[in-house]
Amino acid sequence: MWLDQADGFAEIFKGYLPYYLLVVFPIFIIMSPVNPVAASHEFSVYRMQQYDLHNVPHGCRSSSFNLEGRSLSSWGTSRHCVVARLQDISVDQFVEIRNKAGALVLVLPKNITLLTDEEKEHIRLLEMAMMQQEINVPVYFANWSPEFEDIIADLQHSFITDDKSGTALEAMFNTVSSNGYQIVVSTSSPHKLESKPVTLHGKLFGRAGNTQTIVIAAHYDANSLVPELSTGADSNASGVAALLELARIFSRLYSVTSDRGGPSILFVLTSTGHSLNYFSTKKWLEEQLDSADATLLQDVSFIMCLDSISSGPLSMHVSKPPKPWTAAHSIKSRLRVPVVHKKINLADETLAWHHERFSIKRMTAFTVSSLQSHKDPSRSSILDTPSDASLNTLYTNIVELSRALASHIYNLTDENIQTHLYDEALSVDMESIKLWYNYLSSQPRAPHVVTTSQNGGVSAALERVLSKFVEVSVSVHATDRREPEHALYGPTRALLYVYSVKPAVFDLILTLAIVAYLTVLYFAMQVFPRFYEEYAKIVTGKAKVH
Amino acid sequence: MTLYHFGNCLALVYVPYHMAYKFSGISEYASFSKCVYAGGLYIFTQLCKMLLLATFFPDSDNSHESGEYDVLLEILKATVDFADLFGLYFALNSIPGKGHAKILTAAVGWASAEVLVTRSVFLWVGARGSEFSWRYVRACAEANVSLLQTAGCATLVWLRARSDLPPRLAPLVLSLLLLAPYRSLLEDALAAALSLSPWPLLALRAVHAAVVALAALAAYAVLAQQIAV
Repeated sequence: MWLDQADGFAEIFKGYLPYYLLVVFPIFIIMSPVNPVAASHEFSVYRMQQYDLHNVPHGCRSSSFNLEGRSLSSWGTSRHCVVARLQDISVDQFVEIRNKAGALVLVLPKNITLLTDEEKEHIRLLEMAMMQQEINVPVYFANWSPEFEDIIADLQHSFITDDKSGTALEAMFNTVSSNGYQIVVSTSSPHKLESKPVTLHGKLFGRAGNTQTIVIAAHYDANSLVPELSTGADSNASGVAALLELARIFSRLYSVTSDRGGPSILFVLTSTGHSLNYFSTKKWLEEQLDSADATLLQDVSFIMCLDSISSGPLSMHVSKPPKPWTAAHSIKSRLRVPVVHKKINLADETLAWHHERFSIKRMTAFTVSSLQSHKDPSRSSILDTPSDASLNTLYTNIVELSRALASHIYNLTDENIQTHLYDEALSVDMESIKLWYNYLSSQPRAPHVVTTSQNGGVSAALERVLSKFVEVSVSVHATDRREPEHALYGPTRALLYVYSVKPAVFDLILTLAIVAYLTVLYFAMQVFPRFYEEYAKIVTGKAKVH
Repeated sequence: MTLYHFGNCLALVYVPYHMAYKFSGISEYASFSKCVYAGGLYIFTQLCKMLLLATFFPDSDNSHESGEYDVLLEILKATVDFADLFGLYFALNSIPGKGHAKILTAAVGWASAEVLVTRSVFLWVGARGSEFSWRYVRACAEANVSLLQTAGCATLVWLRARSDLPPRLAPLVLSLLLLAPYRSLLEDALAAALSLSPWPLLALRAVHAAVVALAALAAYAVLAQQIAV
């Protein structure tokens, strides 16, 4: 039989089996492909914003890393990735991490609306610190999840530290019992995004013979540290919702010839706001003023910009106090709001308010906002989330705005007529405001997202709804080729893998344990014959006879 | 983890088998090819079992998804494992030599094939990855237990096949043999009842295998003494 013949061959084979493995395994290992190992945890994470404004770099400049995870207290070198809760990290700690650590992963609070005012204030301070200057280490944000919470807790209570502590035995026990985490984000290196800011505008034509135009403008992007989480409810979903509501109300009024007001109303939605220095507004203005028939902006009585109008009573921000008997003064007196005067400072990196873009071109413009100062951190915060209270404030403010506008357009002064008119025609529809406010504040609307989305996204949705009320034109803008005003960088999101690992020493200890076990096994086999004899004696009651 | 970790796991699996082969004295019978033959029989038996399972049993993946645990079905499936005993019987029959050499050769060959088929890919993919898990170390330790268990099983099969088995041992051997296919089912049931974590479960398996093996050894000792007498 061939098996018997193989015995001789098997003898040689058997003698060399362990040595032959030494050759075969390396070959196997070289040949086998690098298998993508399934990590025990996989998270969707959002990269901190990165953009250049006038060639000045902002935000986080790198994206990929593969480092050991550590907690806020135990990290030491640039080989560590710090993992922490957003509310736990202090500004000083952040500055140190920015300078020395390898990467930073921040987990957002479980429920942003449940934070106390102190925590919110802390997060705003931190955001300001993080925005201050560019960061060279990768910074990622993750949504809260129970798994991530476990990992953070594990890292915080981990015994893995760099300083030698306790006895050798203690240290050994620690390496066996503790979990380490290897944190990996592999994504494309930062690259410029193909950004196409747009401006939507549509005009309601007033009575023939009246050439005056009122412009209502709002920007629909949001700004915060994390582009994918910039859902900006107050800034500026509220402004856009108000603009859409005004467009709805006045398009209905203007559709009846007898009710049509004198001046035309031009609605303008721009896709880049304060974070990119109102770039699309600037481009759009240049286009309109340079075009052959500059009828659109020929006789502008005033430009009203809506920005963050859901957090309280309104104020009117101007660069030049309105003179009496002008249209701006008329609307100011009808709005009955305080005027905040701030001169344009061209030396600043960005303009303060949206209206300054128009004021530079010598147009009468003002911004209506609930905020008292353009420096308010809530304009660029991830804490800017929708709430019912804000929605109610927004509703009241829209009612105020529409009343003021209507009474200006129809030049009404008598209170009674006004009340009657409001009831009839100016009914502000809470449902449609709510719909748009909630829709917009559920969408990430950072310039990184809205100006780069392939199939329209928020811009397309806004174009569709605005075209129900007015005829919409879309202007697409491009940055200057030689000296780009701004550049946006991706990737904005990535996948984060967390591998649980053991320290390198652990394998050595495991080897020792295995060797000890095998030694015991070896001696057990050696003493087995003697054991068998004794055992047989016990079982059969007699000494075994051979 | 690292390649080094994989080496650790491999050592934990391979060395006990190697030692069992080297130091039990069966290597002196030049029976490496017999080991391979027993391994071949193991693979053949598994194919037959798979054929049976695939033909007569419903798709188990579906029941896993629905989360239901059909006790009767599991018992029936475990019954198919009787084929293992027949496979061991054929392996023992085809190996010439004295009783203990027969048993050990069949057991080492059988268990080695089992380790190779069920654990090698698992270890290759798992223990070499960057993720650490005790699962792999545990699987390696379990391979050692399965060697002990196979040896006990082979002894029982050999004893049952002997015509000169003392009648007073027959019920013991027969009952242990009948229980053998349901071994892992019983262990899992006990673990579920006591809600054991994986390491105690492994200890339970080891204790169980050791008890069965000692009982088989006792029966063997009685028989060996009887033959000698």
